[in-house]
Order: sequence, then C-alpha cells, then structure tokens
Amino acid sequence: MTWASDPRVTRFQRRGPYATASDALRYITEHILPHPWYRAICVDNGCPVGSISVNPAPDDRCRASVGYRLAYNCWGRGIATAALREAAARVFEEWPHLKRLEAVADVENPASQRVLEKAGFQREGVLRKYIMLKGERRDMVMFSLLATDPRT
Amino acid sequence: MERGTTPQLKQLVEEEQKPIPDITLRQLKHSDVEDLMKWKSDDRVMRFTTRQVCTTKDEALDFTERFIMPHPWFRAICIEDRPVGSLAIGPAPGDEKHRAWIGYSLAYDYWGRGIATAAVKKAVAIIFKEWPHLERIEAVADVENRRSQRVLEKAGFQREAVLRKFIVIKDKVRDVVMYSFLSTDPLVE
Repeated sequence: MTWASDPRVTRFQRRGPYATASDALRYITEHILPHPWYRAICVDNGCPVGSISVNPAPDDRCRASVGYRLAYNCWGRGIATAALREAAARVFEEWPHLKRLEAVADVENPASQRVLEKAGFQREGVLRKYIMLKGERRDMVMFSLLATDPRT
Repeated sequence: MERGTTPQLKQLVEEEQKPIPDITLRQLKHSDVEDLMKWKSDDRVMRFTTRQVCTTKDEALDFTERFIMPHPWFRAICIEDRPVGSLAIGPAPGDEKHRAWIGYSLAYDYWGRGIATAAVKKAVAIIFKEWPHLERIEAVADVENRRSQRVLEKAGFQREAVLRKFIVIKDKVRDVVMYSFLSTDPLVE
C-alpha cells in the first residue's frame, strides 16, 4: 500500500491510488499472482519499496514490455534503475526467445525517461496518443533494450 | 521486390506522377479466392508481411474462413470490382481501445500506380467515421520496405520512430518504422 496508495506514484499509471487495503489485496489476487513476471523491488532489510513487471506482447514472442513503480521516499537513489537492469538481465536469460524489452514513459515524465536511459535503454521516438492514462490519451516516449545491447 | 532492386527515390517519384485508377473497397467474397491467390501466393508481395504465403486454393479458402470472414474490418481493394489487393484494420491488442492497426497487400502487377495509397486514404476516412472511439491508427513497415513507407507518408501518416527488433517476419526478427494517423490529423485528398 505504501506506493500503491500514493497519487505521486500513480500519477503516470493507468489506475488511480488505492484507498483501502482490501482494494490492494484484490489487485494482488486478480492481477499480480497470475502475472507472467511480477517482482517486488526490495532494499536492505528485504522490505518491498516498489515493483517491476514484464508483459510479453500478446502477438509477438520476441518482445515484452516492462513497467515499474516505486515508493516516493525511495525516488532519486538509483533504485528503479538498478531494478530495471536486474529485471532485464533475468528475463533475457529466462526467455531465450525474447529479443526486445520495451518501455514507454509519458512525455511529461522526465524522471522515468532518465531511469530508462541510465539503465541502458535506447530512446526510439514519441508515439502520439499511444496509451490511455486515466481517461486521457497520452503521448509516450518509446524506449527499448535488446538482448544484444551492451549492459550498463 | 528482390534485394538490390530497392527503388530509388527518383523511380518512386516518377511512378507517383501516373494517374491513379478508380478504386473501391468492399467485403471479400468466397468467389474472390482466385483473385486473392494472385497476391497471397506471391513471395514478392508477402515478403514483408507477418502472414504466411498461401500456395494452394485450399489454403486460401482456409485463410478466408479463419481470418478474413470473422475479421472486424477486412476489405478487398478493387478495380472495376475485381480484387487486386486487400486492406485490414484491427483493434490494437490489449486495453488500448482508442488504437487500431492497419495493414495492406497489393498484387505485384499493380505496384507503382498509387493504388495502395488511394486505398489507405479511403480506409482512414471511413474508419474514423465508423469507429468514433478510434483516435490513433498505426502502421509498421519493415525498415527495408521503402515502398510501403512511401504509401503511408503519401496517405498522411506521420513517421514516429524506428522500433528495433519489433516483430518476427518469416522467422527473422526485424526493425520496423512506426507510423501513425490521429483522428485530429488532416485527411489527405
């Protein structure tokens, strides 16, 4: 709930902040547990401070998209960047057919764009009105990391 | 097109000066299967598509039943009511209901005459009316498919990015150029 109930964290996510623990619990049951690849980001004492998930494309096994979210008080410490690097290394190993990991960041979310660049993703371009975010169609910057790209 | 015969810009521009025949878009019928085979069996046409080549009439009929008939929006591109190609528009996979993709094929003998461009322009105008929730039509063209990129550009699509290793075509992972046409973009006459 620490990050999922915080509107600063959910600002660029599809869903809004959770108000109650039972909302979050339902999300865990319906979305997280059956997910193909969903991991908690933990630091130091093993306490989750965020999560990272990888979604294979429904129509092409060669690509998957990664998304992440982090508790606000953990921003600005390189945690998301480290989590991305680690997640990328693991999925490329676990899914040998995967050639491309992609991520989109809202054009107005430079912090997330920076995380992706530092994690070694390559900026490809702006896709107009690509994702629906809270009822609004948003322009997104597309990034990709290939299995063959040098790791940072 | 074979490798090494990628048309130069000059050739493409010359082709673009020729008058375009009248084209219509209509539903495909089972009786069109012979015409469908003309491009579905041609490697030059199917080279940059994700669909398999149809080498027999049975395969073409099977493709018609399984893919074309249930498709949300599949049209034959016709000259004097004879199909010379096809065009399909489908909702984007996943939750993004405001998005759709467009794809098209044209028999080789009809290349270089502006037919695919005319078909795409017509289809774009129609689909934004028929699907009022639609805000973005996107298309990808293989980085080496300069002809198809020209079709999209002439039809008013905006080039957005090269997406690396985006799709698998004929067992190879390919880079593609992503194009889009928004419901707010001006239609091209």
